[in-house]
Amino acid sequence: MSFSERVIARFTRIGLREKLLFSMLAAVLFISVAIALISRWILVSSLTNELEMRGFAIAHSVAERGGSYLLDNDVPKLLALIFDEARLRQRKDLVAYIFIEDQKGNILAHTLTHKLPDSLRANTLPPGQPDSIKLIGLGNQEVYDLAAAINEGLYRIGTVHVGLNKRHIDTLVGKLRVAFLGFISAVVIITIILSSWLSKYITKPVSDLTRLSDEISRGNFDIPLKLGSGEDWDSAACPAFSNTDLPCWHFDQSRSGQTPAETHRKCADCAFYRKHKGDEVVQLGDSFRNMVWSIKLYRRRLRESEEKYRSLFDSGPDPIFVVDCASGTIRDANPRTSELYGYPREELLNMPFLELGPEHNTACLDFFIEGGGGCVYYPKRLHYKNGGEPFFVNMHACPISYRGKQAIIIAVTDITELIEKDAQLIQAAKMKSLGEMSAGVAHEINQPLNAIKVGSEFLSMMREEDLDIPKEHFKEVVNEISTQVDRAAEIIDTLRSFGRKSDLIEEPVDLNQPVRAVLSMVRRQFELDNIRFELNLAEGLSPVQAHSNRLQQVIFNLVANARDAINDVSNADGGGDRRILIHTGNHDGRVFIEVKDTGGGIDEKDQQKIFEPFFTTKEAGQGMGLGLAITYGIIKDYGGEIRIDSTKGRGTAFRMEFPAAPARGETKA
Amino acid sequence: MRDKVLVIDDERPTLKMFTLLLSAYGYDVLTAENGLEGVETFRREEPGLVLTDIKMPVMDGIEALKAIKKINPATEVIVITGHGDMDLAIQALNLDATDFINKPLKREALEKALTRARERMTIARNAEGQVVLEEKTRAAVIGVRGNVTAMTMPRLTEAFEQAVAMGKEALLIEFEKSASINGAGITGLTELLSDNAGSGTRVYLAGLSSNFRSVFETLGITRFAELFEQEKETLTDG
Repeated sequence: MSFSERVIARFTRIGLREKLLFSMLAAVLFISVAIALISRWILVSSLTNELEMRGFAIAHSVAERGGSYLLDNDVPKLLALIFDEARLRQRKDLVAYIFIEDQKGNILAHTLTHKLPDSLRANTLPPGQPDSIKLIGLGNQEVYDLAAAINEGLYRIGTVHVGLNKRHIDTLVGKLRVAFLGFISAVVIITIILSSWLSKYITKPVSDLTRLSDEISRGNFDIPLKLGSGEDWDSAACPAFSNTDLPCWHFDQSRSGQTPAETHRKCADCAFYRKHKGDEVVQLGDSFRNMVWSIKLYRRRLRESEEKYRSLFDSGPDPIFVVDCASGTIRDANPRTSELYGYPREELLNMPFLELGPEHNTACLDFFIEGGGGCVYYPKRLHYKNGGEPFFVNMHACPISYRGKQAIIIAVTDITELIEKDAQLIQAAKMKSLGEMSAGVAHEINQPLNAIKVGSEFLSMMREEDLDIPKEHFKEVVNEISTQVDRAAEIIDTLRSFGRKSDLIEEPVDLNQPVRAVLSMVRRQFELDNIRFELNLAEGLSPVQAHSNRLQQVIFNLVANARDAINDVSNADGGGDRRILIHTGNHDGRVFIEVKDTGGGIDEKDQQKIFEPFFTTKEAGQGMGLGLAITYGIIKDYGGEIRIDSTKGRGTAFRMEFPAAPARGETKA
Repeated sequence: MRDKVLVIDDERPTLKMFTLLLSAYGYDVLTAENGLEGVETFRREEPGLVLTDIKMPVMDGIEALKAIKKINPATEVIVITGHGDMDLAIQALNLDATDFINKPLKREALEKALTRARERMTIARNAEGQVVLEEKTRAAVIGVRGNVTAMTMPRLTEAFEQAVAMGKEALLIEFEKSASINGAGITGLTELLSDNAGSGTRVYLAGLSSNFRSVFETLGITRFAELFEQEKETLTDG
């Protein structure tokens, strides 16, 4: 590092104030010294010259007037002359001596009180030259010796020597130097004061701003802000500061371009944002103050908003998770999560979200990892508590940025109670259906029982009468009894499975199975009512993720309604078209089942309402109006939909569609 | 020649068992799986006795009963009803069914019903007097045989009036074991008994098969008369 670089480096390190001070001082000093030197040189030389000229003038005057005395050799007159000249007013300070010598160099007269030292005779006037000057020593002082020729006509008759006191000249020059130094010092002092004030004026606000900025970046907004104008603010004076619903017109206005509403018109004349008239430092101060006010206002709003959402997060009745997209771990969780899931909070944090619901959470995470935008709703997902107890939740998931990482906010609602209630409702409805079915079922069971009874009576009669039973008859009877017992047992099994409360977990169901189960219980009853079933059940149906006995409930509801609809327009004895058509099949990755009747159809205006709870077209006491509402709920549970196609007078078709369950092995269980 | 019996039931296994059982009883068994088929078979074979289930698809037992009675009103039709379905039984009796049996079928009941039917057929063939009035010391006794129908009602009413006129403390209507009462008979009897309710004479009914007893109980006839399984000896003395 060279010297200049070191200087520059050092210079950049020192404060702005010092820089200003030093720069100004250096400039002023340089200018002052230069001026002083030049003026001194000019003044000193011209002063010396002037004095010398005066000395020569005296010498020439003596030579002019003393020429005749010299010719006359009138020494006293010469002496009087040189004394007069030497002592004339101020000259006595300047003139150290005057002496006259003749052509031969003899001293004719002199003004000294002692003998003329020989050292004074060193300045000899060369011939032909009117005068000469030489610095010579006189005792302990220095003297300029000026020699001038005394001429008479063309001849030189003598020489006049005038000694000028060098000390006197030096004194004059010294006075001049002191005056200059004083002047320069005064200039420097004034400059220092001025530049110090100026630099202070400039750097004070800058260092104040620096100090304030430091404080603000440390988060301390409550420092008094006395800048430039010297006024502080009172937050209460700003309506937008305490009321976060109000926009800050000064700030927000510039974005929307709208004008402040009448009630906030006063804000247009803002108490905080202002520009003073003044130099750049004043404006910088104002601008900074406005900026700080803006930051303060919005930081306060941000904090309030943060607090609001934080308390929403903490006090919300539902568990909320923040899940990191990349790692799938829980980054934050509100207190309700530990209550619901039974894990302590510390354990929940950094736990993989998958652990809470291995079956269903993958889909949610994948959706966001693959860059899905917007919020997604996942109804009825199975989650597990600490300890493995399963329960159902509805999940809302939205993407957010959490601590600089892509994350998902997942709000979870525990719907166990709801599901439980639903299950109870469905169960109650099922029990009601069971009651409705009972007559048919009794008939169904009576049939095999009757056959068994007749067969066994035959056997016992033959036994009592001691008659031989032909072998083939015996075999026939025994086989028939066995078959009929199986048949009765099957009906009872179907009945029991229908009445059983469903598990929480769904299973793959072939839609034909519940159709057959329901028909096995009610078919004969319907046929006795002269209602015929026409079945078109497709083989190889894709399975549907559902509960078999709830689907039976649905199908029973539909066929029971179909029967009622048919009975509305015709009766069992009167004939008429009395058919129920059931059609199942695969369609576009979905499985459908259609139940169609030849009844009276549904009014257009009622078609929208039939799935509403407690809506019924039946007479009072004939139905609660819950059957189709429950049916609808069950179908929705399995992700299916139900549509009505009904023409008044021509019958009604209910078409249900369910998504086909993924084949076994595809799902991670 | 073996008597022909037609069994109408929609249940093939039941039909099969019936065939074996009734054959063992010595009948020539005809079967039909529904009412329509049954009526056709009836028309073709003209059996004297028909056993029919009531609840059947296509044409039920009631319809078949109507059709058969239309073809031959003298036919003995025994309906088989679901256990305890008395309404259907009464409806069938109103349509001139002669008897009914409950399901599941009991051999005893079947045998009795078959026996009664056979006896009634014999009575009908012999055309004996079906209502006989006897005077005993303490009671008037009306003996009833065969089928009580609209046709026998005038005779029964006459006998009843004569019996009341005797001024005995009690009146016993004694049914033979094989006796059957159809709807019109039940209505007529109920009228007689309710009209009599005001007078001092107490009426007893005896000898009714358990089937008819339960029908009478269902219809509330027991309000006007006491039912006995056996004839009361005290009343029939002397």
